[in-house]
Amino acid sequence: MTEPLLDLENLTVRFRTPRGEITAVDRLSLQLARGEVLGLIGESGSGKSVTLRALLRILPEKRTAISGGMRVNGRDVLGLKGRGLRAYRGGTVSMVFQEPATALDPVFTIGQQISQAVMAHKGCSKTDAMKRALEMLELVKIPSAASRLGSYPHEMSGGMRQRAMIALALSTSPDLLLADEPTTALDATVQIQVILLLRELQKELGMGVIFVTHDVGVAAEISDRVAVMYAGRLAETGTARQVLGLPRHPYTQGLLASSVQGLEPGARIGAIPGMPPDLAQMPPGCAFAPRCALGR
Amino acid sequence: MTTPVLETLNLEKRFPAGSKGLFGKTDRWVNAVSDVSLRLAEGETLGIVGESGCGKSTTARLIMDLVTPDSGEILFDGQQLHRDRANLRAYRRNVQMVFQDSSASLNPRLTLEQSVMFAPVQHGVPRAEARARARELLEQVGLDPARFAGRYPHEVSGGQRQRVNIARALALRPRVVIFDEAVSALDKSVEAQVLNLLADLKEAYKLSYIFISHDLNVVRHISDRVLVMYLGQVIEEGPAADLYAHPRHPYTQALLASMPSHDPDRRTTAPPITGDPPSPIDLPPGCRFAPRCAFASDLCTARAPLPVAAGRQTVACHLADPASGHPLLNGAKT
Repeated sequence: MTEPLLDLENLTVRFRTPRGEITAVDRLSLQLARGEVLGLIGESGSGKSVTLRALLRILPEKRTAISGGMRVNGRDVLGLKGRGLRAYRGGTVSMVFQEPATALDPVFTIGQQISQAVMAHKGCSKTDAMKRALEMLELVKIPSAASRLGSYPHEMSGGMRQRAMIALALSTSPDLLLADEPTTALDATVQIQVILLLRELQKELGMGVIFVTHDVGVAAEISDRVAVMYAGRLAETGTARQVLGLPRHPYTQGLLASSVQGLEPGARIGAIPGMPPDLAQMPPGCAFAPRCALGR
Repeated sequence: MTTPVLETLNLEKRFPAGSKGLFGKTDRWVNAVSDVSLRLAEGETLGIVGESGCGKSTTARLIMDLVTPDSGEILFDGQQLHRDRANLRAYRRNVQMVFQDSSASLNPRLTLEQSVMFAPVQHGVPRAEARARARELLEQVGLDPARFAGRYPHEVSGGQRQRVNIARALALRPRVVIFDEAVSALDKSVEAQVLNLLADLKEAYKLSYIFISHDLNVVRHISDRVLVMYLGQVIEEGPAADLYAHPRHPYTQALLASMPSHDPDRRTTAPPITGDPPSPIDLPPGCRFAPRCAFASDLCTARAPLPVAAGRQTVACHLADPASGHPLLNGAKT
């Protein structure tokens, strides 16, 4: 078997907080093949965003304890330091955030931001980097790309900014793209455009993608495989067809049943009672047990 | 036809967009709401959908009189709303609102019980009675008063806070409740619980709802009738079942087609429309949707379409009006 692009083995992320230590990600084991799209679904506090941040090594080091195995292209990510870490962040792995308005730098033009990333990672000249920036803006289908190179983020609409953010993330040709709810802040008609764009680019460039979302519909649109997280733990994983079509875990079943999609209008929704546990006071045993219809 | 409990006639609101110099007058305006007329029948849920900047929240604020309209009227029980103190007080007893941000809309220094009893006390209900009613309401929205009455907003979860906001909105025994993206910030499993709760409360208190959301699935689920807004205007309106099954306006069609499919085997293959909604400052001439519309003709950029009846729906599109002279209509006839 060929080596997977990403191999997580018992990844555990703990935060030191004033209320004591909490485990945000608990023994997560996942693999991602090259060119595969994994949809990571979960509610707030389920650990999906923390997993991405741990992968990019951007969690605050002093307050975070990461343990377990994390290998990208067979290389140990947790052991990376200095220059190696800089090349990894944004080079091997890059990320698209939920709010492009805050993720982009307001005082630099889009062209400057992309070309700086290209120069830092590819070591090319400013002219070549700008050329690459233009190519990228054309790739993400920003209209009149050449003039948009000189635009500041605030001069663009939300959908356009997210396209620019994607262009920035892909400009260094990463092997793995992390997308943290990239379409959640967008309007419906724009969201579907960005999903289709990401799907197309992923096919064209062949990178692996982890796409974090709380929206089952969005996950169905983009994922080859789906992983469902609950309270920092992996509840279920499989192909998108398996997990969304025939969920096995009671939590996944509950999550799908609580969607009004396909339900008779006005009918009672099969809501899961209660709410996710407080990570500082986890129940013993299965984290979902207190809300589970089958729990005893 | 019976009198609707709430009705608006040609509501209009624009906000100044920046100013020229210190004492300069503005010549640029954000056209937030243009000519919005709606009717809410007794016991009905009216859904309002649209993308950001379409004016759905401003419409809610106009109805609540949190924002004063430039022109247009609001009718409650067929009576025109006059904006004097006594009238507004009585009106606001009858029309209440639940906002999206559950923590920003609660006073952090009041306990949950105090928040719920605040309005009744202001309206002259004796404290003991207001407290008893608050406890009863907390119980009804699923918060055990023995555990929750004395807590502060930061001590409970987002879903629980939104339940408190709902209880508070009901404390004055209103007849109409407006929900402005009230479940949008909640996790799916919690959202489902709150939607079930809203259905129960509507039944128990004989309420009428205006339900504003960008989530088309949720609006379909809860609404009897739906109103679609685009750039400040109502572009289509009708019974939820008809409108979702046979959307007439090209924008409604595109909006519905943009919903993710939920089935990995039936994915969306092409974007229904391209581009972002334009800014409500520089409005396109004629039909406001024309620049993004696949069927736009010279007629559409020249003249704005008026709402016409199409089946049980009302649609503001030249294509829905056989007499409009849109070239595609003539093509279909010959």
